[in-house]
Amino acid sequence: MVKKEEILLNILHREQDKKGYISIESLKRISTEQNIPISRLYGVVKFYTMIRTEPQGRYIIELCGSPSCVLNESREIERFLERELKIKIGETTNDKMFSVYKSSCIGCCDEPPAMLLNGKPVTSLTIEKIKKLLKELRNQKNQKENKN
Amino acid sequence: MQILRQTNLEALKLAKEIGPEKVLDILDRKNLVGRGGANFPLAKKWRLALKNKNKSKEIFLICNADEGEPGTFKDKFIIKNNPETLIEGILIAAYVLNAKRVFIYLRNEYNYLREELEGKIKEVLKKSEMENKIDIEIVRGAGAYICGEETAIMQSIMGYRGQAMYKPPYPTDEGLWKKPTVLNNVETLTCVPQALLYEDWNPNLRLFSISGDVENPGIYEWEIGVKMSTILDTIKPKQEIKAISFGCFGGVMPLDKNSLINTDTICKEDCQHGAFTIIFIGKNRNIVDVCLSIAKFYTYESCGKCTPCREGTIRILNLLKKVRDGETDEKDLKMLGEIAEHIKETSLCGLGQSSTNHIVTSLEHFKQDYQKYMNKK
Amino acid sequence: MKTKIKIDIDGKTINASPEKTILTICRENGIKIPTLCFHKSLFPEARCRVCLVEMNGKLVTSCSTKPLENAKIITNSERVIKARKMNLELMSPDIKANELASDFEAKEVYDQVGIDNERFKSLKDYHPDLGAAIVRNNNKCVNCGKCVQVCGKIQEIYAIDFASRAHNEHVTPYDEKKLEEIACIQCGQCLINCPVGAIVERSHLEVIKALNNSEKHVVAQTAPAIRAALGELFDMKPGTLVSGKMISALKKVGFDKVFDVDLGADMTIMEESAELLKRLKENKKEKLPMITTCCPGWILMMEHFYPELIPNMSTCKSPHEMLGMLIKSYYAEKAKINPKKIVVVSIMPCTAKKFESTRKELNTGVDYVLTTRELGRLIKMKNLDFKNLEDENFDSVLGLASGAGDIFGTAGGVMEAALRTAYEISTKKKLKKVEFKNLRSSKGIREGIIVLNDKKINYATASGGANIRKLLRNKDKYQFIEMMACPGGCVGGGGQPIYSDEKILGLRAKALYEQDSKREFRRSHENPIVKDIYKRYLGEPLSKRAEKLLHTKYSERSKF
Repeated sequence: MVKKEEILLNILHREQDKKGYISIESLKRISTEQNIPISRLYGVVKFYTMIRTEPQGRYIIELCGSPSCVLNESREIERFLERELKIKIGETTNDKMFSVYKSSCIGCCDEPPAMLLNGKPVTSLTIEKIKKLLKELRNQKNQKENKN
Repeated sequence: MQILRQTNLEALKLAKEIGPEKVLDILDRKNLVGRGGANFPLAKKWRLALKNKNKSKEIFLICNADEGEPGTFKDKFIIKNNPETLIEGILIAAYVLNAKRVFIYLRNEYNYLREELEGKIKEVLKKSEMENKIDIEIVRGAGAYICGEETAIMQSIMGYRGQAMYKPPYPTDEGLWKKPTVLNNVETLTCVPQALLYEDWNPNLRLFSISGDVENPGIYEWEIGVKMSTILDTIKPKQEIKAISFGCFGGVMPLDKNSLINTDTICKEDCQHGAFTIIFIGKNRNIVDVCLSIAKFYTYESCGKCTPCREGTIRILNLLKKVRDGETDEKDLKMLGEIAEHIKETSLCGLGQSSTNHIVTSLEHFKQDYQKYMNKK
Repeated sequence: MKTKIKIDIDGKTINASPEKTILTICRENGIKIPTLCFHKSLFPEARCRVCLVEMNGKLVTSCSTKPLENAKIITNSERVIKARKMNLELMSPDIKANELASDFEAKEVYDQVGIDNERFKSLKDYHPDLGAAIVRNNNKCVNCGKCVQVCGKIQEIYAIDFASRAHNEHVTPYDEKKLEEIACIQCGQCLINCPVGAIVERSHLEVIKALNNSEKHVVAQTAPAIRAALGELFDMKPGTLVSGKMISALKKVGFDKVFDVDLGADMTIMEESAELLKRLKENKKEKLPMITTCCPGWILMMEHFYPELIPNMSTCKSPHEMLGMLIKSYYAEKAKINPKKIVVVSIMPCTAKKFESTRKELNTGVDYVLTTRELGRLIKMKNLDFKNLEDENFDSVLGLASGAGDIFGTAGGVMEAALRTAYEISTKKKLKKVEFKNLRSSKGIREGIIVLNDKKINYATASGGANIRKLLRNKDKYQFIEMMACPGGCVGGGGQPIYSDEKILGLRAKALYEQDSKREFRRSHENPIVKDIYKRYLGEPLSKRAEKLLHTKYSERSKF
């Protein structure tokens, strides 16, 4: 009977869910706990695009780049985000608010163009919609800070 | 829709009454084939695993919910709208295979569905009194298309990089931790209870994922052999459609309003329909641009293990960029075709082997689009 | 055991076992198929796609495919050759076949397949890992994965692995660190197995400057393993003993004196057997088994992964370090040369020793370490006709060694040498036979029992990381253990001529045993120079002076 082992992907996600990324120190800890060589762990982590080893923005935007979304103006959204946030795809804004990535397909092909915002789909995007969303998110943060 | 039919767990009850052999016979008779793209007969796959019963007490079952083919969202539709039947299908499969451990490999892009799915699993297990008899674990993917491929998904579950392995050995002989393993798609498993229970279950009804230059993208259930004109009337193209692409992997072919969508008509254009993902491409698009986004896709998603796919896909992309920028000639197009052929013939797994179908078919059917860019200069 | 099936390879009918791969069957039938990522002792991964053949009209990788019944296999059609060619060109667009050193396994492949690499440009842009001993250049890497597999499965160190995917896939330590920043034991087995020379040793041929400096007295000392392998770099048969030519070449290249590290090995035996007998007498549990320390790769492995074994380690320095200290003291005095003018260059089969020599805090007397391959290059640079050089002898002051010193270069040799002396010194009896057959087998772990004055001593040796780890799991069964990081011992070291057939290691070891049998003195304690060194200079083994010059200590390192 194969012993029930903890599935590494779930271990990594659990760790990433804590702070939004997995630090090298955390990898060392997992390496020791799971008896997996750190070189292999690092190789695994770097294989998957949705596991990140650097601190992320408060909001992670994963814009869909599939052919279906491209046919529905996702590139316009992409260019807008880069201009508005002043970063390139794959980067995090200086104020640590937003990290923007491109996904190969998020499965919202019936409501294009689409993105995931911290893992939840936001669909039928337009520039107006995104503008409004970014503003709301920024306001939320400010409200939180004012409360404190 | 047939796929949304519920069973109130009657199929599971029936399966346990008639026993695994009879279940296999019925699924055989009903012609249930895999709906993950390979269209392999389901009962045949289960039997292949079961013939190893003497060598290995353990058989693993993996529900492949890593739906990653661009343009595909039918499994998401099922997880959202009929999870109970999916879970019942898993339980029936586990019963027939005597599998005590089941993995549902759920792509991370669908993680927002996970909590509810976990709830449903608990519910169904309770209702069917199987709580302590089977271990169903959801494994979260992490953004790798290759992990929809059966050998890569197993590497991923076992804690390695999701790189494909050559076959044989086949998963039904040597899979997870070298034990016989059965991989089934979400839609396939959802059909199991329905096919078992309902006399009038139609094996030719399939879920089509429709997207692209259309007003009504969505999941539709049609029979194989459906008329293209029927499809067009339902999905309402935004402009005249010149081509359809079967996801990224299946190739692009000209749209024929008078044709039927079945294996023959599609194969005739050197395409593959797989799991019936169709992206509709309008007349004002240059196919080369579509191919560019497909080529880009493969340069992200190649697992990197074998030379032709790892090194070839990026060169395909670079060549296409040159075409788009008007910097190529016939010699380059010939090289493009050569590399595409090479990647198809010598890649280790299905990803590489199908990664250049879009090139081969677009050069075959839409050479004029290439020439449009080439003549720009 | 399935029955054989009939298959057709290139028109020839062959009865083959369906359990064997097409590659194996072809090789057994004298049919040449080029491979790059294939390794005899490792599971085939079918990464490189160079070993393609046609089977029933389909291109398949012969390393991973078993033949179907009645299969029609073609290994040399135009289609096959074109496909192999394109894969080679895709994986290594910058490599020009005629520029590949003949050292590297890939040279034969490139010559056999023939490539035209004007077609693709390289897209790789990595920073080389410029280590003190090992240099990794990912721009030359063809992603064959052998270094990863060897470091993992054979050495069980797991210093490197593949990271990222698609065309960004590359081999790296964790966090893109350099080898020197992580738990790498510098054994160089990755280097030995790299088919294209993307991993090479750091060059220290700047020693030429010292050679050309008339103010410096440059001394070479050669490890036992060199004389058994150097000839291979000059097309001589593997296993040819070339001591005489080696010395001659060193002299012609400009070394003032050439000494024999095998003598240093004799010194190591004197100190180590005294240490062993002392520990056996004291019988303290934490100091037994005593473990040898002439292998710096093993020392690094211990410091990173088994620091709790520090008390078990012999405190003896390795032979070239001992001799290095003696060159700058004993020899300097005798020859009346200012030790500050002496430059000691060790010729070693070892990359770990190269790494060690750059650590200035270690007091070893050694200024440079050159690998066997670097010596080969030095000889070629000076246009010497190596094969036809006249034999010369080591310089006498520190040039005579016993057979026990010679066999240090092969796995099991240190143990055999130590037992010869430990036995005779403690029992005051002479061994009837000095050869220990059980230590000369080809096994990864070798063991035996010897009785020293009614005390039964269990001893064992292990070579290669996996065998070391295996032996350590059982270590308390033994009183004395020899550990060698490289499979086969130093004859298979990271600095040796690159080999792909393990038989070559056996031939190199055989040469050393041959040298042992020809020696006037077979035991370290019989060596008259050794006796003189103690009489005149050190007193006796483990004396205060000996402790100061010839012993060292160890420290714990991070396991990452």
